[in-house]
Amino acid sequence: MGRGIGQFYPGMSPLHALDPRAKILASVGLVAALFLVGSFHGFLLVAVVVLSLLIVSRVPAAAFLRFLKPVSFIVALTFLFQALFSREGNILFEWGWLSVYEGGVSNGAFLAARILLLVLSAALLTATTPPVALTDGIEDLLSPLKKLRFPSHEVAMMMTIALRFIPTLDEEAQKIMRAQAARGAEFSEGGLIKRVKAIIPILVPLTVGAFCRADELADAMESRGYRGGEGRTRYRELKFRLRDGVALLFVVLVAVGGAVL
Amino acid sequence: MRIEVKNLRHVYSPGTDSAVEALRDVSLSVEGGEILGVVGGTGSGKSTLVVHMNLLLEPTSGEVLIDGMDARAMKKSELRRRVGLVFQFPESALFAPTVEEDVAFGPCRLGLDEEEVRRRVSETLGMLGISHLASRSPHALSGGEKRRVAIAGVLAMGPEAIVLDEPTAGLDPATREELLDVVRGLKNAGMSVVIVSHDLDEIAEVADRVCLMERGEAKAVGAPEDVFYEHPENAPDTVRAALAVGERLPGVGRPVRFAETVEVLERVMGG
Repeated sequence: MGRGIGQFYPGMSPLHALDPRAKILASVGLVAALFLVGSFHGFLLVAVVVLSLLIVSRVPAAAFLRFLKPVSFIVALTFLFQALFSREGNILFEWGWLSVYEGGVSNGAFLAARILLLVLSAALLTATTPPVALTDGIEDLLSPLKKLRFPSHEVAMMMTIALRFIPTLDEEAQKIMRAQAARGAEFSEGGLIKRVKAIIPILVPLTVGAFCRADELADAMESRGYRGGEGRTRYRELKFRLRDGVALLFVVLVAVGGAVL
Repeated sequence: MRIEVKNLRHVYSPGTDSAVEALRDVSLSVEGGEILGVVGGTGSGKSTLVVHMNLLLEPTSGEVLIDGMDARAMKKSELRRRVGLVFQFPESALFAPTVEEDVAFGPCRLGLDEEEVRRRVSETLGMLGISHLASRSPHALSGGEKRRVAIAGVLAMGPEAIVLDEPTAGLDPATREELLDVVRGLKNAGMSVVIVSHDLDEIAEVADRVCLMERGEAKAVGAPEDVFYEHPENAPDTVRAALAVGERLPGVGRPVRFAETVEVLERVMGG
Protein backbone atom coordinates (compact mmCIF):
# COMPACT_ATOMS: atom_id res chain seq x y z
CA MET A 1 0.00 0.00 0.00
CA GLY A 2 1.19 3.49 -0.76
CA ARG A 3 2.68 5.32 2.16
CA GLY A 4 1.49 8.63 0.77
CA ILE A 5 -2.09 8.44 1.94
CA GLY A 6 -2.13 5.69 4.54
CA GLN A 7 -0.63 7.80 7.32
CA PHE A 8 -0.43 4.95 9.77
CA TYR A 9 3.00 3.91 11.00
CA PRO A 10 2.94 0.41 12.47
CA GLY A 11 4.65 0.19 15.84
CA MET A 12 4.59 -1.27 19.32
CA SER A 13 4.55 1.91 21.40
CA PRO A 14 2.13 2.45 24.32
CA LEU A 15 0.24 4.87 22.08
CA HIS A 16 -0.26 2.20 19.43
CA ALA A 17 -1.66 -0.11 22.09
CA LEU A 18 -4.35 2.29 23.29
CA ASP A 19 -7.99 1.81 22.40
CA PRO A 20 -8.85 3.87 19.31
CA ARG A 21 -11.80 5.45 21.11
CA ALA A 22 -9.54 6.64 23.90
CA LYS A 23 -7.13 8.05 21.34
CA ILE A 24 -9.85 9.86 19.41
CA LEU A 25 -11.22 11.43 22.60
CA ALA A 26 -7.73 12.24 23.82
CA SER A 27 -6.76 14.05 20.64
CA VAL A 28 -10.04 15.97 20.79
CA GLY A 29 -9.01 16.84 24.35
CA LEU A 30 -5.56 18.01 23.25
CA VAL A 31 -7.05 20.15 20.50
CA ALA A 32 -9.49 21.65 23.01
CA ALA A 33 -6.61 22.28 25.39
CA LEU A 34 -4.71 24.15 22.70
CA PHE A 35 -7.70 26.43 22.19
CA LEU A 36 -8.35 26.90 25.89
CA VAL A 37 -4.88 27.97 26.97
CA GLY A 38 -4.34 31.69 27.20
CA SER A 39 -1.11 32.08 29.14
CA PHE A 40 2.42 31.30 28.15
CA HIS A 41 2.84 28.76 30.94
CA GLY A 42 -0.34 26.93 30.05
CA PHE A 43 0.74 26.78 26.45
CA LEU A 44 4.16 25.53 27.44
CA LEU A 45 2.57 22.71 29.45
CA VAL A 46 0.43 21.52 26.51
CA ALA A 47 3.34 21.88 24.08
CA VAL A 48 5.63 19.81 26.26
CA VAL A 49 2.96 17.13 26.61
CA VAL A 50 2.34 16.96 22.82
CA LEU A 51 6.05 16.87 22.05
CA SER A 52 6.74 14.15 24.60
CA LEU A 53 3.86 12.11 23.18
CA LEU A 54 5.54 12.37 19.77
CA ILE A 55 8.62 10.80 21.30
CA VAL A 56 6.60 8.14 23.13
CA SER A 57 4.90 7.16 19.84
CA ARG A 58 8.29 6.21 18.34
CA VAL A 59 7.04 7.28 14.93
CA PRO A 60 10.00 8.62 12.91
CA ALA A 61 10.33 12.39 13.04
CA ALA A 62 10.43 12.50 9.25
CA ALA A 63 6.86 11.18 9.23
CA PHE A 64 5.65 14.07 11.38
CA LEU A 65 7.50 16.53 9.19
CA ARG A 66 5.52 15.14 6.27
CA PHE A 67 2.30 15.85 8.15
CA LEU A 68 3.46 19.43 8.71
CA LYS A 69 4.48 20.09 5.13
CA PRO A 70 1.01 20.92 3.76
CA VAL A 71 0.33 23.43 6.56
CA SER A 72 3.77 25.04 6.58
CA PHE A 73 2.60 27.70 4.11
CA ILE A 74 -0.36 28.67 6.29
CA VAL A 75 1.85 28.73 9.36
CA ALA A 76 4.39 30.99 7.66
CA LEU A 77 1.65 33.28 6.38
CA THR A 78 0.03 33.55 9.81
CA PHE A 79 3.32 34.44 11.40
CA LEU A 80 4.19 37.05 8.77
CA PHE A 81 0.80 38.74 8.97
CA GLN A 82 0.95 38.95 12.74
CA ALA A 83 4.55 40.11 12.76
CA LEU A 84 4.11 42.75 10.08
CA PHE A 85 0.69 44.21 10.75
CA SER A 86 0.14 43.92 14.47
CA ARG A 87 1.03 47.06 16.44
CA GLU A 88 1.49 46.04 20.04
CA GLY A 89 4.32 46.58 22.49
CA ASN A 90 7.67 48.11 21.67
CA ILE A 91 9.03 48.63 18.21
CA LEU A 92 11.64 46.00 17.44
CA PHE A 93 12.98 47.59 14.27
CA GLU A 94 11.89 49.97 11.55
CA TRP A 95 12.75 49.86 7.90
CA GLY A 96 11.13 52.53 5.78
CA TRP A 97 7.34 52.25 6.12
CA LEU A 98 7.75 48.84 7.68
CA SER A 99 7.84 48.62 11.45
CA VAL A 100 7.85 45.41 13.40
CA TYR A 101 6.49 45.39 16.96
CA GLU A 102 7.43 43.05 19.75
CA GLY A 103 3.84 42.07 20.41
CA GLY A 104 3.33 41.20 16.75
CA VAL A 105 6.27 38.83 16.68
CA SER A 106 5.30 37.08 19.89
CA ASN A 107 1.63 36.83 18.83
CA GLY A 108 2.72 35.46 15.47
CA ALA A 109 4.99 32.89 17.03
CA PHE A 110 2.24 31.88 19.45
CA LEU A 111 -0.33 31.41 16.67
CA ALA A 112 2.10 29.54 14.43
CA ALA A 113 3.10 27.21 17.25
CA ARG A 114 -0.56 26.63 18.05
CA ILE A 115 -1.34 25.57 14.47
CA LEU A 116 1.70 23.30 14.37
CA LEU A 117 0.69 21.64 17.64
CA LEU A 118 -2.89 21.21 16.43
CA VAL A 119 -1.69 19.37 13.36
CA LEU A 120 0.73 17.30 15.41
CA SER A 121 -2.01 16.25 17.83
CA ALA A 122 -4.12 15.03 14.92
CA ALA A 123 -1.08 13.39 13.37
CA LEU A 124 -0.44 11.51 16.62
CA LEU A 125 -3.85 9.90 16.25
CA THR A 126 -3.60 8.91 12.59
CA ALA A 127 0.03 7.83 12.80
CA THR A 128 -0.54 5.43 15.70
CA THR A 129 -3.99 4.09 14.78
CA PRO A 130 -4.67 1.83 11.77
CA PRO A 131 -7.43 3.36 9.58
CA VAL A 132 -9.74 0.43 10.24
CA ALA A 133 -9.39 0.76 14.01
CA LEU A 134 -10.02 4.46 13.60
CA THR A 135 -13.31 3.91 11.82
CA ASP A 136 -14.27 1.20 14.33
CA GLY A 137 -13.66 3.74 17.06
CA ILE A 138 -15.67 6.43 15.31
CA GLU A 139 -18.52 3.99 14.76
CA ASP A 140 -18.56 3.13 18.41
CA LEU A 141 -18.39 6.73 19.57
CA LEU A 142 -21.23 7.66 17.22
CA SER A 143 -23.40 4.69 18.17
CA PRO A 144 -25.41 6.56 20.83
CA LEU A 145 -26.69 8.66 17.91
CA LYS A 146 -28.39 5.54 16.55
CA LYS A 147 -31.28 6.37 18.84
CA LEU A 148 -31.69 9.51 16.74
CA ARG A 149 -31.67 7.31 13.62
CA PHE A 150 -28.18 8.38 12.69
CA PRO A 151 -26.70 5.51 10.58
CA SER A 152 -23.42 5.28 12.50
CA HIS A 153 -22.52 1.79 11.23
CA GLU A 154 -23.16 2.74 7.62
CA VAL A 155 -21.13 5.93 7.94
CA ALA A 156 -18.23 4.01 9.44
CA MET A 157 -18.45 1.32 6.76
CA MET A 158 -18.40 4.01 4.07
CA MET A 159 -15.32 5.55 5.61
CA THR A 160 -13.59 2.17 5.83
CA ILE A 161 -14.35 1.38 2.19
CA ALA A 162 -13.30 4.84 1.04
CA LEU A 163 -9.98 4.52 2.87
CA ARG A 164 -9.46 1.02 1.55
CA PHE A 165 -9.95 2.09 -2.06
CA ILE A 166 -7.78 5.21 -2.12
CA PRO A 167 -4.63 3.22 -3.00
CA THR A 168 -6.59 1.08 -5.46
CA LEU A 169 -7.93 4.12 -7.28
CA ASP A 170 -4.52 5.71 -7.23
CA GLU A 171 -3.02 2.64 -8.86
CA GLU A 172 -5.82 2.56 -11.40
CA ALA A 173 -5.27 6.23 -12.24
CA GLN A 174 -1.56 5.59 -12.78
CA LYS A 175 -2.35 2.74 -15.14
CA ILE A 176 -4.81 4.79 -17.15
CA MET A 177 -2.40 7.70 -17.34
CA ARG A 178 0.28 5.43 -18.73
CA ALA A 179 -2.12 3.93 -21.25
CA GLN A 180 -3.14 7.39 -22.47
CA ALA A 181 0.46 8.57 -22.47
CA ALA A 182 1.23 5.68 -24.80
CA ARG A 183 -1.39 7.18 -27.11
CA GLY A 184 0.31 10.54 -27.06
CA ALA A 185 -1.52 12.25 -24.19
CA GLU A 186 0.37 14.99 -22.35
CA PHE A 187 -0.66 15.93 -18.83
CA SER A 188 1.82 18.61 -17.91
CA GLU A 189 1.88 20.79 -20.99
CA GLY A 190 -0.15 23.72 -22.24
CA GLY A 191 -2.45 26.23 -20.58
CA LEU A 192 -5.23 25.67 -18.09
CA ILE A 193 -7.91 24.69 -20.62
CA LYS A 194 -5.58 22.25 -22.33
CA ARG A 195 -4.71 20.64 -19.04
CA VAL A 196 -8.31 20.31 -17.94
CA LYS A 197 -9.09 18.72 -21.30
CA ALA A 198 -6.18 16.32 -20.84
CA ILE A 199 -7.77 15.07 -17.61
CA ILE A 200 -10.96 13.84 -19.32
CA PRO A 201 -9.32 10.71 -20.82
CA ILE A 202 -8.26 9.78 -17.28
CA LEU A 203 -11.34 10.80 -15.35
CA VAL A 204 -13.91 9.02 -17.51
CA PRO A 205 -12.35 5.54 -17.38
CA LEU A 206 -11.51 6.02 -13.70
CA THR A 207 -15.15 6.82 -12.88
CA VAL A 208 -16.47 3.97 -15.01
CA GLY A 209 -14.05 1.62 -13.25
CA ALA A 210 -15.02 2.89 -9.81
CA PHE A 211 -18.70 2.23 -10.46
CA CYS A 212 -17.97 -1.29 -11.73
CA ARG A 213 -15.88 -1.91 -8.65
CA ALA A 214 -18.62 -0.60 -6.37
CA ASP A 215 -21.11 -3.04 -7.95
CA GLU A 216 -18.72 -5.93 -7.57
CA LEU A 217 -17.92 -5.05 -3.99
CA ALA A 218 -21.61 -4.81 -3.10
CA ASP A 219 -22.22 -8.23 -4.63
CA ALA A 220 -19.22 -9.71 -2.84
CA MET A 221 -20.38 -8.28 0.49
CA GLU A 222 -23.94 -9.51 0.07
CA SER A 223 -22.81 -12.94 -1.01
CA ARG A 224 -20.91 -13.15 2.26
CA GLY A 225 -24.04 -12.30 4.18
CA TYR A 226 -23.57 -8.58 4.85
CA ARG A 227 -26.87 -6.98 5.88
CA GLY A 228 -25.75 -3.78 7.52
CA GLY A 229 -24.93 -3.11 11.14
CA GLU A 230 -27.93 -4.86 12.75
CA GLY A 231 -26.73 -7.80 14.85
CA ARG A 232 -23.28 -7.70 13.32
CA THR A 233 -20.44 -8.90 15.54
CA ARG A 234 -16.83 -7.89 15.28
CA TYR A 235 -13.63 -9.73 14.61
CA ARG A 236 -11.67 -7.11 16.51
CA GLU A 237 -13.56 -6.31 19.69
CA LEU A 238 -12.75 -2.91 21.14
CA LYS A 239 -11.88 -3.14 24.81
CA PHE A 240 -11.67 -0.07 26.99
CA ARG A 241 -8.99 -0.97 29.54
CA LEU A 242 -7.66 0.75 32.60
CA ARG A 243 -4.75 2.26 30.67
CA ASP A 244 -7.21 3.88 28.25
CA GLY A 245 -9.01 5.50 31.16
CA VAL A 246 -5.72 6.67 32.63
CA ALA A 247 -4.65 8.15 29.29
CA LEU A 248 -7.93 10.04 28.98
CA LEU A 249 -7.74 11.32 32.54
CA PHE A 250 -4.19 12.50 31.88
CA VAL A 251 -5.27 14.50 28.84
CA VAL A 252 -8.19 16.03 30.73
CA LEU A 253 -5.82 17.08 33.51
CA VAL A 254 -3.45 18.60 30.96
CA ALA A 255 -6.31 20.52 29.36
CA VAL A 256 -7.58 21.82 32.69
CA GLY A 257 -4.06 22.59 33.83
CA GLY A 258 -3.32 24.45 30.63
CA ALA A 259 -6.47 26.51 30.96
CA VAL A 260 -5.87 27.37 34.62
CA LEU A 261 -2.17 28.25 34.36
CA MET B 1 12.24 -1.40 -37.09
CA ARG B 2 14.74 -2.92 -34.73
CA ILE B 3 14.28 -2.50 -30.99
CA GLU B 4 17.19 -3.50 -28.85
CA VAL B 5 17.53 -3.37 -25.09
CA LYS B 6 20.99 -3.62 -23.64
CA ASN B 7 21.90 -4.50 -20.04
CA LEU B 8 18.58 -3.12 -18.87
CA ARG B 9 18.17 -2.76 -15.13
CA HIS B 10 15.22 -1.30 -13.30
CA VAL B 11 14.79 -0.71 -9.59
CA TYR B 12 11.39 0.38 -8.24
CA SER B 13 11.53 2.99 -5.45
CA PRO B 14 15.33 3.00 -5.30
CA GLY B 15 17.00 4.08 -2.09
CA THR B 16 14.06 3.14 0.14
CA ASP B 17 13.55 0.01 2.21
CA SER B 18 10.88 -1.09 -0.27
CA ALA B 19 13.29 -1.01 -3.23
CA VAL B 20 12.71 -3.88 -5.66
CA GLU B 21 15.05 -4.85 -8.44
CA ALA B 22 12.49 -5.74 -11.11
CA LEU B 23 14.93 -6.14 -13.99
CA ARG B 24 18.59 -7.04 -13.93
CA ASP B 25 20.85 -7.02 -16.91
CA VAL B 26 18.28 -7.89 -19.56
CA SER B 27 19.49 -7.79 -23.17
CA LEU B 28 17.40 -8.74 -26.19
CA SER B 29 16.22 -7.44 -29.52
CA VAL B 30 13.35 -7.69 -31.96
CA GLU B 31 13.52 -7.07 -35.71
CA GLY B 32 10.96 -5.81 -38.18
CA GLY B 33 8.72 -8.62 -39.44
CA GLU B 34 9.39 -10.69 -36.36
CA ILE B 35 7.30 -11.68 -33.35
CA LEU B 36 9.12 -11.89 -30.03
CA GLY B 37 7.19 -13.77 -27.37
CA VAL B 38 7.93 -12.90 -23.74
CA VAL B 39 6.94 -15.54 -21.19
CA GLY B 40 7.52 -16.04 -17.48
CA GLY B 41 5.67 -16.26 -14.19
CA THR B 42 3.87 -13.40 -12.45
CA GLY B 43 6.37 -10.96 -11.02
CA SER B 44 9.14 -12.16 -13.34
CA GLY B 45 9.52 -8.68 -14.85
CA LYS B 46 7.72 -9.19 -18.16
CA SER B 47 5.52 -6.12 -17.88
CA THR B 48 8.31 -3.98 -16.47
CA LEU B 49 10.47 -5.00 -19.41
CA VAL B 50 7.96 -4.07 -22.09
CA VAL B 51 7.08 -0.61 -20.73
CA HIS B 52 10.73 0.28 -21.24
CA MET B 53 10.40 -0.21 -24.98
CA ASN B 54 8.91 3.24 -25.50
CA LEU B 55 10.44 4.63 -22.31
CA LEU B 56 7.18 5.07 -20.44
CA LEU B 57 9.41 3.74 -17.70
CA GLU B 58 13.03 4.89 -17.73
CA PRO B 59 15.68 2.28 -17.00
CA THR B 60 17.78 2.63 -13.85
CA SER B 61 20.71 1.70 -16.04
CA GLY B 62 21.24 0.21 -19.48
CA GLU B 63 19.83 1.46 -22.73
CA VAL B 64 17.05 1.09 -25.28
CA LEU B 65 18.06 1.40 -28.92
CA ILE B 66 15.62 2.10 -31.74
CA ASP B 67 17.23 1.26 -35.07
CA GLY B 68 20.56 1.68 -33.30
CA MET B 69 19.69 5.11 -31.91
CA ASP B 70 19.50 5.79 -28.18
CA ALA B 71 15.78 6.12 -27.41
CA ARG B 72 16.49 8.71 -24.72
CA ALA B 73 17.82 11.05 -27.40
CA MET B 74 14.57 10.80 -29.35
CA LYS B 75 11.56 13.05 -28.84
CA LYS B 76 9.07 11.37 -26.49
CA SER B 77 6.11 11.97 -28.77
CA GLU B 78 8.02 10.61 -31.76
CA LEU B 79 9.12 7.55 -29.79
CA ARG B 80 5.56 6.80 -28.65
CA ARG B 81 4.22 7.10 -32.17
CA ARG B 82 6.81 4.70 -33.55
CA VAL B 83 6.57 2.13 -30.76
CA GLY B 84 2.92 1.41 -29.93
CA LEU B 85 2.26 0.00 -26.48
CA VAL B 86 -0.89 -1.90 -25.50
CA PHE B 87 -1.14 -2.50 -21.77
CA GLN B 88 -2.80 -5.34 -19.90
CA PHE B 89 -6.56 -4.94 -19.97
CA PRO B 90 -6.27 -1.88 -22.21
CA GLU B 91 -10.07 -1.59 -22.36
CA SER B 92 -9.99 -0.01 -18.90
CA ALA B 93 -8.67 3.18 -20.51
CA LEU B 94 -11.48 3.64 -23.04
CA PHE B 95 -13.10 7.01 -22.47
CA ALA B 96 -14.72 8.60 -25.53
CA PRO B 97 -18.49 8.57 -26.21
CA THR B 98 -18.04 6.50 -29.38
CA VAL B 99 -15.61 3.87 -30.60
CA GLU B 100 -14.65 6.09 -33.52
CA GLU B 101 -13.70 9.01 -31.29
CA ASP B 102 -11.76 6.80 -28.93
CA VAL B 103 -9.68 5.30 -31.72
CA ALA B 104 -9.17 8.81 -33.13
CA PHE B 105 -7.62 10.07 -29.89
CA GLY B 106 -4.08 8.95 -30.70
CA PRO B 107 -4.03 10.09 -34.35
CA CYS B 108 -5.52 13.46 -33.30
CA ARG B 109 -2.72 13.89 -30.79
CA LEU B 110 -0.27 13.41 -33.65
CA GLY B 111 -1.65 16.57 -35.22
CA LEU B 112 -2.90 14.87 -38.40
CA ASP B 113 -5.61 16.57 -40.42
CA GLU B 114 -9.19 15.45 -40.01
CA GLU B 115 -9.37 13.50 -43.23
CA GLU B 116 -6.23 11.51 -42.47
CA VAL B 117 -7.50 10.76 -38.97
CA ARG B 118 -10.79 9.49 -40.37
CA ARG B 119 -9.00 7.37 -42.96
CA ARG B 120 -6.78 5.77 -40.33
CA VAL B 121 -9.64 5.13 -37.94
CA SER B 122 -11.76 3.33 -40.53
CA GLU B 123 -8.74 1.42 -41.79
CA THR B 124 -7.79 0.18 -38.32
CA LEU B 125 -11.37 -0.67 -37.38
CA GLY B 126 -11.57 -2.69 -40.61
CA MET B 127 -8.33 -4.49 -39.87
CA LEU B 128 -9.65 -5.60 -36.47
CA GLY B 129 -13.05 -6.49 -37.87
CA ILE B 130 -15.03 -4.00 -35.81
CA SER B 131 -16.10 -1.44 -38.43
CA HIS B 132 -19.73 -2.09 -37.52
CA LEU B 133 -19.12 -0.81 -33.98
CA ALA B 134 -17.78 2.62 -35.02
CA SER B 135 -20.64 4.70 -33.65
CA ARG B 136 -21.36 2.59 -30.56
CA SER B 137 -20.32 3.55 -27.05
CA PRO B 138 -17.18 1.63 -26.08
CA HIS B 139 -18.58 1.05 -22.60
CA ALA B 140 -21.55 -0.90 -23.93
CA LEU B 141 -19.50 -3.49 -25.85
CA SER B 142 -18.49 -7.02 -24.91
CA GLY B 143 -15.09 -7.72 -23.39
CA GLY B 144 -13.59 -8.96 -26.65
CA GLU B 145 -14.94 -6.03 -28.62
CA LYS B 146 -13.60 -3.55 -26.08
CA ARG B 147 -10.19 -5.18 -26.23
CA ARG B 148 -10.11 -4.80 -30.01
CA VAL B 149 -11.18 -1.15 -29.79
CA ALA B 150 -8.36 -0.47 -27.35
CA ILE B 151 -5.80 -2.16 -29.59
CA ALA B 152 -7.16 -0.23 -32.57
CA GLY B 153 -6.58 2.98 -30.62
CA VAL B 154 -2.84 2.26 -30.58
CA LEU B 155 -2.59 0.84 -34.10
CA ALA B 156 -4.32 3.91 -35.55
CA MET B 157 -1.26 5.94 -34.64
CA GLY B 158 0.63 4.02 -37.31
CA PRO B 159 3.42 2.55 -35.19
CA GLU B 160 6.37 0.68 -36.72
CA ALA B 161 6.55 -1.65 -33.76
CA ILE B 162 3.89 -2.82 -31.38
CA VAL B 163 4.21 -4.17 -27.86
CA LEU B 164 1.24 -6.14 -26.56
CA ASP B 165 1.08 -7.00 -22.85
CA GLU B 166 -1.17 -10.05 -22.45
CA PRO B 167 -3.48 -9.07 -25.31
CA THR B 168 -5.58 -12.23 -25.05
CA ALA B 169 -6.00 -12.47 -21.27
CA GLY B 170 -9.59 -13.27 -20.37
CA LEU B 171 -10.83 -13.62 -23.96
CA ASP B 172 -12.85 -16.49 -25.38
CA PRO B 173 -10.99 -18.93 -27.69
CA ALA B 174 -12.59 -17.59 -30.91
CA THR B 175 -11.72 -13.96 -30.16
CA ARG B 176 -8.25 -15.06 -29.11
CA GLU B 177 -7.68 -16.76 -32.47
CA GLU B 178 -8.91 -13.70 -34.35
CA LEU B 179 -6.62 -11.47 -32.37
CA LEU B 180 -3.63 -13.72 -32.98
CA ASP B 181 -4.43 -13.57 -36.70
CA VAL B 182 -4.33 -9.78 -36.48
CA VAL B 183 -0.94 -10.03 -34.76
CA ARG B 184 0.38 -12.28 -37.53
CA GLY B 185 -0.95 -9.78 -40.06
CA LEU B 186 1.00 -6.97 -38.40
CA LYS B 187 4.16 -9.05 -38.55
CA ASN B 188 3.61 -9.83 -42.21
CA ALA B 189 3.19 -6.12 -42.87
CA GLY B 190 6.75 -5.72 -41.56
CA MET B 191 6.10 -4.50 -38.04
CA SER B 192 8.19 -5.61 -35.08
CA VAL B 193 5.88 -7.29 -32.60
CA VAL B 194 6.50 -8.03 -28.94
CA ILE B 195 3.83 -10.12 -27.25
CA VAL B 196 3.75 -10.92 -23.55
CA SER B 197 1.65 -13.86 -22.46
CA HIS B 198 1.05 -16.41 -19.75
CA ASP B 199 -0.32 -18.73 -22.37
CA LEU B 200 2.63 -20.79 -23.58
CA ASP B 201 0.54 -22.55 -26.23
CA GLU B 202 -0.33 -19.23 -27.77
CA ILE B 203 3.30 -18.05 -27.77
CA ALA B 204 4.31 -21.38 -29.34
CA GLU B 205 1.88 -20.69 -32.19
CA VAL B 206 2.89 -17.13 -33.05
CA ALA B 207 6.40 -16.37 -31.81
CA ASP B 208 9.49 -16.42 -34.03
CA ARG B 209 11.70 -15.99 -31.01
CA VAL B 210 11.04 -16.38 -27.31
CA CYS B 211 12.37 -14.67 -24.20
CA LEU B 212 11.88 -16.51 -20.92
CA MET B 213 11.91 -14.19 -17.92
CA GLU B 214 12.57 -15.34 -14.39
CA ARG B 215 13.04 -13.18 -11.31
CA GLY B 216 13.90 -10.12 -13.37
CA GLU B 217 16.39 -11.86 -15.60
CA ALA B 218 16.16 -13.04 -19.18
CA LYS B 219 16.82 -16.69 -18.45
CA ALA B 220 16.81 -17.65 -22.10
CA VAL B 221 16.36 -15.81 -25.40
CA GLY B 222 16.25 -17.58 -28.75
CA ALA B 223 14.32 -19.76 -31.15
CA PRO B 224 11.18 -21.26 -29.55
CA GLU B 225 12.45 -24.85 -29.85
CA ASP B 226 15.75 -23.94 -28.15
CA VAL B 227 14.12 -22.09 -25.27
CA PHE B 228 11.27 -24.52 -24.70
CA TYR B 229 13.26 -27.77 -25.01
CA GLU B 230 15.93 -26.44 -22.67
CA HIS B 231 13.34 -25.27 -20.13
CA PRO B 232 10.59 -27.89 -20.28
CA GLU B 233 9.13 -26.61 -17.01
CA ASN B 234 8.15 -23.50 -18.98
CA ALA B 235 7.15 -25.25 -22.19
CA PRO B 236 3.77 -25.52 -23.89
CA ASP B 237 1.81 -28.79 -23.92
CA THR B 238 3.02 -29.58 -27.45
CA VAL B 239 6.64 -29.62 -26.28
CA ARG B 240 5.79 -31.68 -23.19
CA ALA B 241 3.94 -34.21 -25.31
CA ALA B 242 6.84 -34.45 -27.76
CA LEU B 243 9.28 -34.89 -24.86
CA ALA B 244 7.15 -37.60 -23.27
CA VAL B 245 6.82 -39.53 -26.53
CA GLY B 246 10.46 -38.87 -27.46
CA GLU B 247 11.62 -40.70 -24.34
CA ARG B 248 10.37 -43.96 -25.80
CA LEU B 249 10.35 -43.39 -29.54
CA PRO B 250 13.23 -41.98 -31.61
CA GLY B 251 12.87 -39.35 -34.31
CA VAL B 252 10.42 -37.02 -32.57
CA GLY B 253 12.74 -34.04 -32.97
CA ARG B 254 11.75 -30.71 -31.49
CA PRO B 255 8.35 -29.60 -32.76
CA VAL B 256 6.77 -26.54 -31.15
CA ARG B 257 3.67 -25.51 -33.08
CA PHE B 258 0.53 -27.59 -32.70
CA ALA B 259 0.28 -28.65 -36.35
CA GLU B 260 3.90 -29.74 -36.63
CA THR B 261 3.69 -31.60 -33.33
CA VAL B 262 0.66 -33.55 -34.50
CA GLU B 263 2.46 -34.35 -37.75
CA VAL B 264 5.64 -35.54 -36.02
CA LEU B 265 3.77 -37.63 -33.46
CA GLU B 266 1.64 -39.26 -36.13
CA ARG B 267 4.78 -40.14 -38.06
CA VAL B 268 6.77 -41.67 -35.19
CA MET B 269 3.79 -43.50 -33.79
CA GLY B 270 3.12 -45.01 -37.18
CA GLY B 271 0.10 -42.97 -38.23
